[in-house]
Amino acid sequence: MDFYLNLINTIGIHTMLGLSAYLLLQTGQLSLAQAGFFAVGSYTAAILTVIFQWNIIPSVLVAMLVTGFLAFLVGFPALRVKGLMLVVATIAFSEFVRMFFYNLKWRVTKNGEEIGPDGTMGFAEIRYFSDNGWSNLEVTFFLWTFVIIIMGVIWWSDQSRTGAVLRAVGEDELAASSVGINLTVVKVSAMTAGGFIAGLSGGLYAHQVTSLDHHSFTVLLGTFAIAYPILGGLSNVFGTLVAVIFIQGLLVEGLRFLGDWRMILFGLLIVLAMNFKPLGLFDKQTIAIIKRSIRV
Amino acid sequence: MLKIESISKHFGGVKALNELNLEVGEGEIFGVIGPNGSGKSTLINVICGIFLPTKGDVIFEGQILSEKPTHQRLKKGIARTFQNIRLFPNLTVWQNLWVARNSVEDIKTESSFYRWFGKSSIVKKEIEKMLEFSNLENRADELASSLAFGEQRRLELARAVATKPRLLLLDEPAAGMNKDEIRDLDKRIRSLQLQGITIILIEHVMELVMGVADRIAVLNFGSKIAEGNPQEIQKNEAVQEAYLGYSEDD
Amino acid sequence: MEDFLYEVVEITQTIWDGVLFGSTYALIGIGFTLIFGAMGKLNMAYAGAAIAGAYVGLAVSMFLDAPIIFVFAVSALVSTLMGYIVYQTCFRFIPTHNHLAALMASVGGLFLIDEVIVLATRGSPMNFPGLFEDAYFELGPFGIRGDLLFVFFIGIVSTVVLLYVLFKTRLGMATRAVAQQDVAAQLCGINIHRTNSITFSIAGLLGGIAGAMTAAAVGVLSPVMTVPLTIKGLIVTVIGGLGSIPGAIIAGLFVGAFENFFLYIRGIDERDMYVVALLFIFLVFRPNGIFSKTITRD
Repeated sequence: MDFYLNLINTIGIHTMLGLSAYLLLQTGQLSLAQAGFFAVGSYTAAILTVIFQWNIIPSVLVAMLVTGFLAFLVGFPALRVKGLMLVVATIAFSEFVRMFFYNLKWRVTKNGEEIGPDGTMGFAEIRYFSDNGWSNLEVTFFLWTFVIIIMGVIWWSDQSRTGAVLRAVGEDELAASSVGINLTVVKVSAMTAGGFIAGLSGGLYAHQVTSLDHHSFTVLLGTFAIAYPILGGLSNVFGTLVAVIFIQGLLVEGLRFLGDWRMILFGLLIVLAMNFKPLGLFDKQTIAIIKRSIRV
Repeated sequence: MLKIESISKHFGGVKALNELNLEVGEGEIFGVIGPNGSGKSTLINVICGIFLPTKGDVIFEGQILSEKPTHQRLKKGIARTFQNIRLFPNLTVWQNLWVARNSVEDIKTESSFYRWFGKSSIVKKEIEKMLEFSNLENRADELASSLAFGEQRRLELARAVATKPRLLLLDEPAAGMNKDEIRDLDKRIRSLQLQGITIILIEHVMELVMGVADRIAVLNFGSKIAEGNPQEIQKNEAVQEAYLGYSEDD
Repeated sequence: MEDFLYEVVEITQTIWDGVLFGSTYALIGIGFTLIFGAMGKLNMAYAGAAIAGAYVGLAVSMFLDAPIIFVFAVSALVSTLMGYIVYQTCFRFIPTHNHLAALMASVGGLFLIDEVIVLATRGSPMNFPGLFEDAYFELGPFGIRGDLLFVFFIGIVSTVVLLYVLFKTRLGMATRAVAQQDVAAQLCGINIHRTNSITFSIAGLLGGIAGAMTAAAVGVLSPVMTVPLTIKGLIVTVIGGLGSIPGAIIAGLFVGAFENFFLYIRGIDERDMYVVALLFIFLVFRPNGIFSKTITRD
C-alpha cells in the first residue's frame, strides 16, 4: 500500500513540476530553470518547518512566494537571451542553485539534536509529517489537493483567452506584438507563474521525501520537467499528467524488474516519440481523433 | 492624421528610406506603390515601430511616436497586416481573433477577470461580427493553418480590424489573389473606410490600388517621386520611368 | 616577498595548465557550434557520444593490447559513427522548425547512451591511459605537463585540419552553404541530409578526440562525466558565440584557465559556480558571445 501511495505522490509532484514548465513552453521559452526553482522551494519550505518550526501550510505557501519572486527576477534577463541560448542559460542557473545548496550549511541545535542543511551531506530529518502524526494517506490527499488545484487553474487558462495569448506569443512574437500583446508582460508572467508552481511542488516534495540531497536537483530533473509537457503536448493539461503517469509509473517503478534496461527503454522511447509525434503524444490531431471516436 | 516627417532609415550602407515626407488625412484610403526595393515594407515597419527611424519622426494624431514599441502603437490605434501572412497557425480562427482584443475600448469594456479568464457575451458578439465580416462563420473552431490561402488572408484582415484601429496598414494584401478575390477585397476595404478607418494600402496589384485609393504616393529608392490621385499617377512620367524604365516620350 | 612570488608562480602555473586542458573544452565547443551553425539546433547527445567513443577505444585497446595511440584513433572513429547515428535518429526526421522535439530527442539519446555505458561497465569508473604521462618539462620555476601538452597539441592539429576541410574543400563549402541558406543550397543540388550527416560525423570525430583527451588528462573514464562535459561545452559554445569556431576555441581555452584558477583559490566545491557566474556575466554584457555567427544563417 505504501509503495503505491509513494508512487502516487511522486506522480503528483512531477505533474506539478511538468505543469510549471508547461506555461513557459507555451510562450516559446525553453526553460530548464524549473529544477532550480524546485530546489529553492524545497529548501525554503524545509528550513521553515525544521529550523523555524512553522506549520506546513504557511511554509509551503511562503516557499511558493519566494520562488515565484525569484522567477520574476529571472524572467527579465531571460528576455534578452533568445531560443537555444536560453536553454544553456537556464541549465547554468539550475546548476548554480544546486551548487549553492550543496554548499549551504545552516545547523541549529533543537532538543539536543543538530538539524538543518549540512552542506555536502544534504538536508535530512525533514520530519514534519511524521512528527505531527500524519498518516501516509493523509499526506497523499494533502499533496494531491494542490495538484488538482494547479491542474484546474492551468486547464482554465487553456480554455480562456490567457491560454490563447500565451500560445500566440509562443507561435509568433512579431504578430503578437502587432496585435497589441505586451511580450514582456506575458513572458515574465509565465516565468513567474512557473516559479510559483515549481516552488510549491518543491516545498511539498521536501516533506514527502524527508531528506534533500543535491543529486535530486540536477539538470536531469530539469529535463524531466520539460519532457512531460513536450511528450504530453502543449495544448492539453491532461497530456502532461498522462506523460508523468507513463514515465514514472511504468518506466521508473513498474518496470523495475528490467533493472537498468528500463532507463535505456526510456531514452529509446523519447527518441521514438519525438520522431513520430513531434508535437507531443497529445497534440491537437490526436485529441481530435479521440474526441471523434468517443462520439462514435 | 498621420505625418511622416523627413524619415530616413538606413541599414548599414543601404538607405531604405531617404528623407521621406508623407501626409495621410483622416478617412482616406492612401495607396503606396513603387518597384521592389523602393522601401514600402520598411515604411510600414517604421510606422508600426518594428524599426526605429534613423532620422525623422512619425507623427500620429499630433503625437510623435518615437520610442513607442509596437504593442503600444496598437493601443494608440495603428494596426497592420503582413505581406507573408502571419497568423497563429496552431490557434483556431476564433482564438486568432480573440487574442487581438487589445484596444483601449476593449480593455475598458471588459473587466480584467473576464478578459483573461472568462468569455463575456460582448466578446462573443464582437468576434461573431468579425467572423461574419470575413465569411468565416463556419470555420471558427478550425486551426488557422488548415484554412485555404484566401481564407487566411481574410482572417488576417479581420484580426487587424478586431483591434479597432483608427489607422490600418495593409502590406500587399492582394498578393496571390485571383480576380474574384481582388474584387472582394476592394469591397471590404471600402466598407472599412465607411466605418471610419483610415487606410494605407501598400500594393503591387495596380487594379486594386488604382480602383480603391483616394490618393497615391509613389516611392523609388526610398524617396517619394510622385503623389496625386490615381489618374494623375498613371500619367506621371517619373512613375512610368521608375516602373518600366522608359516614359511615353522616349 | 618570497611567499608572494611563490603565489604568482603557482597561479601562473595553474592558469597555464588550465589553458592546456581547455583545449578539450575548445574541441567540444567547436562540435556544438558546428551543429548549431549547420542546423540551428543543439545536439544534447554530443558529449555522450564523445565519452562513449572513449569507452569503446579503451575496450578495444584492452582486448587487443594495442598501443595507446590506437585508443585515441578508435575513440575518434567510433564517435564519428555515433555522430552519424545521432543525426539519423534524433534530427533527420524531425521538422526543421520544431526545436523542442529535436532537443528532446537528443536528450533522449543522451539518456540512452549514458545508460548503455552504465550497463556495460556496471557503473564503475575505469582507468584511462594517458600519453606522455611521465613527461614533464621544466622552464625555470614552471613545469609543463607532457600529457597536457600532448592533449593541447592534438587539439591544435584537429582544429587546423577541420578549418582546412571547411574552407578548402568542396565538402566544407557545401557544409557552409547549408549552414547559411539551406533552401538555396538544396536548389543548387546539394543534398541537405548528406551534408548534415557529414557535419554531425565531423563533429563526432572532434568529440571522440575530445572525449579521449579529457579521459587521458584526468586519468579516469566514467559515465558521470557526460553531464558536466555537456554543460561546460554548452557554456563554452555560448561564451564563444553560437556558430563561431574561433569563438569556441578562445572560449574553451579561457574557460579552462578560468576554471583551474578558481579551483586553486576556492577549491573544487565552489569552482563550477564561478564558471556559471562567468556565463551569466557574458549573457548580461555580450549575449551573443565573443564572436557571433561566423558560419550560420541569418
